[in-house]
Amino acid sequence: MIIMTTLEIFLIAITAGIVGSILGLGGGIIIVPALTLLFGVSMRTAVAASTVSIIATSTGAAVAYLHDRLSNVRVAMWLEMGTATGALTGALVAGYISQRLLFILFGALLAYSGYNMFKSRKAELPGEVVPDRISKRLNLAGSYYDQLLRRRVDYQVTRSIPGLIIMYFSGAAAGLLGIGAGIFKVPAMDQVMRMPFKVSTATSNFMIGVTAASGAVVYFARGDVKPLIAGPVVLGVLLGALVGARLMVRMRATTIRKLFIPLIIYTAIMMIYKGISQ
Amino acid sequence: MNRGHEENGGVVPIEMILARLLRIGSIIAAILLAAGIAAMLLVGASFAPGLITAGLVVLLATPIMRVLVAGVVFAKEKDWLFALFCLVVLCSLAAGVILGRGE
Repeated sequence: MIIMTTLEIFLIAITAGIVGSILGLGGGIIIVPALTLLFGVSMRTAVAASTVSIIATSTGAAVAYLHDRLSNVRVAMWLEMGTATGALTGALVAGYISQRLLFILFGALLAYSGYNMFKSRKAELPGEVVPDRISKRLNLAGSYYDQLLRRRVDYQVTRSIPGLIIMYFSGAAAGLLGIGAGIFKVPAMDQVMRMPFKVSTATSNFMIGVTAASGAVVYFARGDVKPLIAGPVVLGVLLGALVGARLMVRMRATTIRKLFIPLIIYTAIMMIYKGISQ
Repeated sequence: MNRGHEENGGVVPIEMILARLLRIGSIIAAILLAAGIAAMLLVGASFAPGLITAGLVVLLATPIMRVLVAGVVFAKEKDWLFALFCLVVLCSLAAGVILGRGE
């Protein structure tokens, strides 16, 4: 009996790892409902397991993305300042802010980026991008070898400060609402900073491990991380992420975008619904 | 363009250093987790949860080590601004953990 359950959790986790690593998301969108609805796990335990599994998605896939230079380490470090300080702010102001309003606000923001993403659904790579001063100063531009296009793609990065500000708020949202490991990061890099879509998801994937780590430490300290649940989830996600990263480097950006759009719209609707119904 | 990503004069690029770190972290974590889960399912060993927890802790430490190592690499390359960025991230992480535990 326990073997069957573990196996089922394991298989769902592998799926979550594949999806999460391709899209640059944490995979909590799959793990949390699966654990609570299918296996009757408590919300606290499910969220704790999901948070640790975000680290697994990130770490497992990043090895491949770093080798292909798809993850931009400099952009990641620049933006992690935003997410890390934002998460800290979120934790500090948590008691003083209306969650309802935030859910609606961030939901609307996601809906808007979903709409923008839909408009640019046919573009494999961004057009000509003129780097801003900070991007030049910090040397954020990059290049990667695209295994699908079979050529080197050089790209520029722009609007570094707006990108950082969005990361700050996305970090705060993650702390306040417990959502959005990657769902805000990908559109910020894709649409605001005008990075290639595959670089955006791979860099988001690289970053989410760090964001999740601080939350995970706290869950550990509180004893919410249950080894018998989190163990199979995390191992499954780790293996799934290895597979997902190998698939992603050979996929079209337009295909990945098509997978991303329904998820961002779904999350936007769920958030607005939560804000209204709470 | 793109000076930050090129392999300059035999220096190992930061991507490769971090990739190696993340690979080691995920392999150790995977082995501990697999061993723990196998021990739990096959023989119901009492040390199984301990093994799994060890795997989870290794995994948890990996991204934090990643920021630390990136900071050291940037400092070695005299890229002080990016070393500072890493420091800011590490301090925020530490503050978040202290704050979270205090709740």
